[in-house]
Amino acid sequence: MVGVTRGYRVFQTVNGFVLAIVVAVTLFPFIHVLARSFSGEQEIRSGQVSIWPKGFNVTTYEKVMSDPIFWVNYRNTVFYTVVATAIALVLTTCYAYVLSKKHLKGRGLLVGIAVFTMFFNGGLIPNYVLVSSLGLRNTLWAIVLPNAISVFNVLVMKAFFESLPVELEEAAAVDGSGTYGTLLRIVLPLSKAVLATMLLFYAVSFWNSWFAGFLYMDRQELFPVTVYLRNLIAGATSGTDNTATSEAALQIAASIQAVTIVLIMLPIMLVYPFIQRYFVSGVMLGAVKG
Amino acid sequence: MIQLTRRHLLTAAGAAAVAAGLSACSDDGEGSTEGLDGKRAGAMEGFKAGDQFKATEPLSFSIMMLSNQAYPYKADWPFFKELTARTNVTLESTAVPGSDYNQKRSVVVSAGDAPMIIPKTYHPDEEAFIAGGAILPVSDYVDLMPHFKDKVARWNLQANLDGFKAEDGKYYLLPGLHENTWQDYSLAVRTDVMEKLKLTAPTTWDDLTGVLREMKKAYPDQYPLSDRWSTPPQPGANNLFNLVGTSYGTRAGWGWNPMEWDATAARFVYSGSMDQYRQTLEYVHNLVKEGLLDPESFTQTDDVARQKFATGKSFVMSCNAQTLVNEARKDIAKLPGAKVAKMILPIGPAGATLPGHTRLENGIMISKKALESKNFVAMMQFIDWLWYSDAGLMFSKWGIEGQTYTGKVDDGSFKLDPGIKWAGLNPDATKDLQVDYGFFNGVFAYGGSTAMLNSQFSEEEKAFQAEMNKREIRPVAPPAPLTIEEREQVTLWDSALKDHVFQNTLKFALGQRPLSEWDAYVKELEGKNATKYVDIVNKAYERYKKAHG
Repeated sequence: MVGVTRGYRVFQTVNGFVLAIVVAVTLFPFIHVLARSFSGEQEIRSGQVSIWPKGFNVTTYEKVMSDPIFWVNYRNTVFYTVVATAIALVLTTCYAYVLSKKHLKGRGLLVGIAVFTMFFNGGLIPNYVLVSSLGLRNTLWAIVLPNAISVFNVLVMKAFFESLPVELEEAAAVDGSGTYGTLLRIVLPLSKAVLATMLLFYAVSFWNSWFAGFLYMDRQELFPVTVYLRNLIAGATSGTDNTATSEAALQIAASIQAVTIVLIMLPIMLVYPFIQRYFVSGVMLGAVKG
Repeated sequence: MIQLTRRHLLTAAGAAAVAAGLSACSDDGEGSTEGLDGKRAGAMEGFKAGDQFKATEPLSFSIMMLSNQAYPYKADWPFFKELTARTNVTLESTAVPGSDYNQKRSVVVSAGDAPMIIPKTYHPDEEAFIAGGAILPVSDYVDLMPHFKDKVARWNLQANLDGFKAEDGKYYLLPGLHENTWQDYSLAVRTDVMEKLKLTAPTTWDDLTGVLREMKKAYPDQYPLSDRWSTPPQPGANNLFNLVGTSYGTRAGWGWNPMEWDATAARFVYSGSMDQYRQTLEYVHNLVKEGLLDPESFTQTDDVARQKFATGKSFVMSCNAQTLVNEARKDIAKLPGAKVAKMILPIGPAGATLPGHTRLENGIMISKKALESKNFVAMMQFIDWLWYSDAGLMFSKWGIEGQTYTGKVDDGSFKLDPGIKWAGLNPDATKDLQVDYGFFNGVFAYGGSTAMLNSQFSEEEKAFQAEMNKREIRPVAPPAPLTIEEREQVTLWDSALKDHVFQNTLKFALGQRPLSEWDAYVKELEGKNATKYVDIVNKAYERYKKAHG
């Protein structure tokens, strides 16, 4: 390259070195967990495993993956996440878009109502009674509806919509576009960044969520996989069952957490690279307004 | 997503309980076996102990079904099929992951949405639901349960049950019943080292000190006893403290309970200020002082303690039947000639006795809704047969004679089918008694006779249990149920007191605080309302005695 000074080259080297360390520090926990998940019980217990599996062993993977219920629950998680994210995205967008319009009468009140729920809620048992008497228990809706709108996400989106130039929408109106037309043809195509961000926020939170599934589902085949894995971890670590301590159980106890983390993290991790570039600009966009 | 903490839940449960309690005040129709005429559909006439229960028409009862991590619930287990064949009853299960069973139970019971049968409840958890009126005072209906009554009478468990009673003189939980105290925990000891040093097995705790001294003499650079099970909040070495404390006649470590019954004075005393507690501390402290007990015992993780034992750095460590076989014995496999066995529990000043309060297991709550069912009587008979008859217990534990097992437990001829594995039995079999059949499920199979319990032990463990069963069972504390206000008050005091006891237990044991300051420590406890606490409990005891005899 032309005009590269010696100083710049030094900077590049140092920079690369520092970044390499950062990468190593960030990656290490992932690799460590991955290595643990494939290691033997004795090796894990004595702390010999660092970044390479020792005493290669897949008993725990076999145990987890050979259980048909695991796959049923996994499918549930995917299904719940997709449906819930789609619905949440639509509802959040609508609410945020409406709130971003300064000429809306009662806007302050609508924002207030939303923010109110950030600080106060009915409490666990009233929520349960409500969901139960609406007949939502043991259905997908018990997971989707109570969590369909996250107020925090609404506020982020609202800030984003407010930052869009008003002139654009006015121009659309002049050309004869109605409210919905403007939203669908003008605003949303310009909001890919924030939509991707919301998509990620919702998808991750529904993917990781276990409590709604645990509380509102009474049948095993309806649980999300997080409930399944939570149960497995609790059993392996608390030893509530004093009768099942076979060889395999010991192996499972040692590596179950690592296996769980790998299995549950993989799919959602694979989503990140595709959304990340929107994600970064999306969060920033909502933040710096005007 | 709503993040829930236990505190939220308790607050919510409490609020719901108060609300439900207000509404429950209006109905005072107390259930009794006479008023059950419309509720006998499907029930057996003249059902008595020894009878096989079979409903006269097909019935179904809803049940909260804990799905155990090790053997997740399956609706098609042979257990359920055979149960229906034998009793004409189908169980409708609400599957709840064992990881958060109590939480879901709190919510559904408080919301008035609970299944009829709510098993796997550990006393005193049921107390939280009494005021809400969502669960039945089961003591009113034990006349419907001949097997239960028979076992309580034969095994002399009425005093234990009395301890479960609430202020109204009724109990709300049907606990599992054990014929005998099951002492599982003791110390694992390297028998090859004992043999090499020509030591005899210790009978008393002082003998044990002698044994440890000899070991120290032979290996002066090591701590012969390095213990495990030091998870907070207890002070550490929680099993050791429990064993020693029990042998001295107080409650320490895992066995901590703020109240201990002083039979001679006929009153409750605060465990942490008993002289027996001081003696327990003195004993443990002397072990530390003489270098016999590793001071890290109180803080180290189980893994560290196990590594010390595995590498021959220590010779004695806490154990139970499971950890002896699965951990201690495996850990020392690499040491040439090393052998380990469970030590017969040493005897202390409290004599060759075992505490009696562990003879009641977790148990069943009955939802108030169940009483509205026309099949209520049949349900109580069904529960009585499945959980309390020998035939029912044998069925839920070992399955079907001729299919999953042969022989009898009473004469020791019991044998699990060789094609089925359970815990250490038949390790190479392909089928698992719990996972594939649904037997030996913690929801149904617990308690029972000593012969029944013995059927699950190895020869080695049977020998240990035979020694333990020779010990006399101590009388249990009389009931002293507190009112809600009293309970709230003592709960406030209790946590501050407990913290102080645990902190100082550790200090005294390690010698950071000399035992000459014991009196000052007792004063500190009084400053934290220990005396008031004891007074409230003793008042409750007197009040209960007056009201219910």
